[in-house]
Amino acid sequence: MIKKVSQKVYMALIFILLYAPIVTLIVLSFNASRTRAKWGGFTIDWYKSLFQNSQIMNALYTTLIIALLSALIATILGTLAAIGMQGMKKKSRTVFMGLTNIPMLNAEIVMGISLMLLFIAFHITLGFSTILIAHITFNIPYVILSVTPKLKQTKRSTYEAALDLGASPLKAFFSVVFPDIMPGVLSGFMLAFTMSLDDFVITHFTKGPGIDTLSTKIYTEVRKGIKPEMYALSTLLFVTVLILLILINVSPADSKKARKVITKRTKAVSIICKRVVPALMAIVLIAGGFYYAGQGGLGTDDKVIVYNWGEYLDPEVITIFEEETGIDVVYEEFETNEIMYPKVQSGAIAYDVVCPSDYMIQRMRENGLLAELNYDNIPNIKNIGKTYLEKSEEFDPGNLYSVPYCWGTVGILYNKTMVDEPIDSWSVLWDEKYKDNILMQDSVRDAFGVTLKYLGYSLNSTDLDELTAARDMLIRQKPLVQAYVIDQVRDKMIGNEAAIGVIYSGEAIYTQQENADLEYVIPKEGSNIWIDSWVIPKNAQHKENAEKFINFLCRPDIALMNFEYITYSTPNTAARDLIEDDSIRNSPIAFPDDEELKDCETYRFLGDEFDSVYNEMWNKVKAS
Amino acid sequence: MKNKKLLAGPYLFWSVAFVVIPLLMIVYYGLTDTSGAFTWDNIAKITTPENLKALGIAVLLSVVSTVICLLLAYPLAMILSAKSVSQSSFIVLIFILPMWMNFLLRTLAWQTLLEKTGVINSILNVLHLPSLDIINTPYAIILGMVYNFLPFMVLPIYNVLIKLDRDVINAARDLGANSRTTFFKIILPLSMPGIISGITMVFVPALTTFVISDLLGGGKILMIGNVIEQAFKQGSNWNVGSGLSLVLMIFIIASMAVVAKYDKDGEGTAF
Repeated sequence: MIKKVSQKVYMALIFILLYAPIVTLIVLSFNASRTRAKWGGFTIDWYKSLFQNSQIMNALYTTLIIALLSALIATILGTLAAIGMQGMKKKSRTVFMGLTNIPMLNAEIVMGISLMLLFIAFHITLGFSTILIAHITFNIPYVILSVTPKLKQTKRSTYEAALDLGASPLKAFFSVVFPDIMPGVLSGFMLAFTMSLDDFVITHFTKGPGIDTLSTKIYTEVRKGIKPEMYALSTLLFVTVLILLILINVSPADSKKARKVITKRTKAVSIICKRVVPALMAIVLIAGGFYYAGQGGLGTDDKVIVYNWGEYLDPEVITIFEEETGIDVVYEEFETNEIMYPKVQSGAIAYDVVCPSDYMIQRMRENGLLAELNYDNIPNIKNIGKTYLEKSEEFDPGNLYSVPYCWGTVGILYNKTMVDEPIDSWSVLWDEKYKDNILMQDSVRDAFGVTLKYLGYSLNSTDLDELTAARDMLIRQKPLVQAYVIDQVRDKMIGNEAAIGVIYSGEAIYTQQENADLEYVIPKEGSNIWIDSWVIPKNAQHKENAEKFINFLCRPDIALMNFEYITYSTPNTAARDLIEDDSIRNSPIAFPDDEELKDCETYRFLGDEFDSVYNEMWNKVKAS
Repeated sequence: MKNKKLLAGPYLFWSVAFVVIPLLMIVYYGLTDTSGAFTWDNIAKITTPENLKALGIAVLLSVVSTVICLLLAYPLAMILSAKSVSQSSFIVLIFILPMWMNFLLRTLAWQTLLEKTGVINSILNVLHLPSLDIINTPYAIILGMVYNFLPFMVLPIYNVLIKLDRDVINAARDLGANSRTTFFKIILPLSMPGIISGITMVFVPALTTFVISDLLGGGKILMIGNVIEQAFKQGSNWNVGSGLSLVLMIFIIASMAVVAKYDKDGEGTAF
């Protein structure tokens, strides 16, 4: 008795471990607040907006189509292989089993990288087909391993009997052997489908620009804060599969009980449960796939390919632009300048308009990647404030290549209830008092920039002594740091996770709206002032459309929409005048006065050599 | 029967093209520098203090989580294997079901659960219990590994246990062995293939992960997987990344050799 109870308790504990995160995600999908750190009341809004979010729906259907195709092809290849292997001598079978074990045991990261190297070496453009090939590759072993045991159980004699009775080998196989191994084939297919659906690492390395599965989309969003629609989608997927499983598993038990009185009715119920409902679900999914794939298709030739930061444009703005001009916007996002740069440089996809930061614009300009803008097509440039154009000349002399889009500073966000004194210096980041309460930026330039400023140096320092001093400071700081994060500072500060965080000014306005205890300050030692601007790469195919797009974004009403959506300071003075709320129009966070900015510098590109010096030093910090 | 073998042909072609050749590419990149000349430098990079530390942490964390997984999974697999067939197949599905919620989201959910002001600590707070401070520490990474890889330990052991011949166990009992002896002399040795296969299926992904340490370690704990990922995705230094991958492959090949030794007939498969 005690044994039974303790067994039950043990299973319950494991069950809780497995399902606690899943329950959490389901709860979050009904959370009215955009951040996961706060419960803002019950809502089903995310489920409604999910179906309007074409990016998520596209990723979902890419995922499903890849899972379906790869599982199907892997099932065919794997089943054939399993049958073939059965007819082999022991030695060659061992070789084949070894071959099968490689993808099963190999590290995902090694496999992903090896496939990426292969595709690039043979000039296969990374995209849908490369992901598909990779998924088939890691799926085949699962099929082989679930079919082989079933094959071992089948009796050779029945197959031979069928042959003796005059059946062709093909007929004998399909009518005698295949029904026996069917459960193995099916479970192999289901496993392959599930594995493909859940894969991230291999997709991460074999995917090309412009294509996202749910996993890679989520990984991008992790840095920016997961969109609640994603929780809603996962909940829907999970519940669908749960219902399917219950239907499939419950119905045989029913029919067993009712075996003696098999009425037509129970039979029909069982068929509906086991066949019709799953088939209907499959049809809905696939039809939806074609619908959304068709919608996102590159049907028209009149388009503009935009490459922007994540969450850096109001989606509504794109809709208005498409309606007004009839130009199709193909929209893609990047997480950091460093990830964007090699993609533009390689020319794998010809982006028409990109939004890098100051120092990266300088790098792209110096390496001849940018096209000069034709200002005849961008008359709305008149709305951009003079100061910002002047500041831009630091990285783009003569404003030949770039139009400012957003700007801001890097500063300290702190929780008034968790600190003792008013904060005005970077020194708090090294204050033992705040051990485990500090959030640091997880990027080389920002981490070093802050430290160099604190030490009184330029944040564009190329002096090895200064850099070494900064590195040592960062190593000393590490035990005090709670976490190195990028955009998660926002959610964590809203949720009172930490007292102090290094953050971009644009995020500060949003965090204050969500948590009134938070305050933003530009430390007295000075900081970084940055500008993100629109540029057109030299290999752009639709330069005029790109200029139309930039011009459109400079329109005051559009710039205002974007400002209200992303809350990053706009250089568009005409748009600023349109802001109705005084406290925001004159907010010292969004629009600090010149006095505060006098010690702030923009980043400059320091050359490839110093780039790697910075990177190496940062690795030392991270590994310390 | 001759042409039956040919059915494995397409698979052979596929494996060579997309498994063997890509691995050779890693070897090639790992042993050459950017100009294509032969060098050992990329592999020697593993001996820098930072990389050695990252490898050390990875080995330590993955060994610990493999042991925890084994200790949790074995009793569980025994309980499951004693259940009736229709019941147990449903329970096995319970382990696969979570995979339908994205791996990244599931791991991220642990952040929400473990944070200082997270769900678990709020509950502990209400109960006036001391708070659980493991987010952004190696413990959180271990938890994430155990959580993500536990099914890969349970399923192979379970698959071996259900195939155990009841007669052997009964024979041991008849000959006077108590349940302790039966377990250590009969059940445990016979389930070795499942255990070994489970250990490799947990150890290898745990050793090489970069996502779990990223999401639950707060960017403070660098594992060898993170170093390699950065070499490819941020630094675009493919030669060094390949060299370090080669070092990892030594661990993987060792695991495969162990599996081949103990699990000759492929009994201990996960599925």
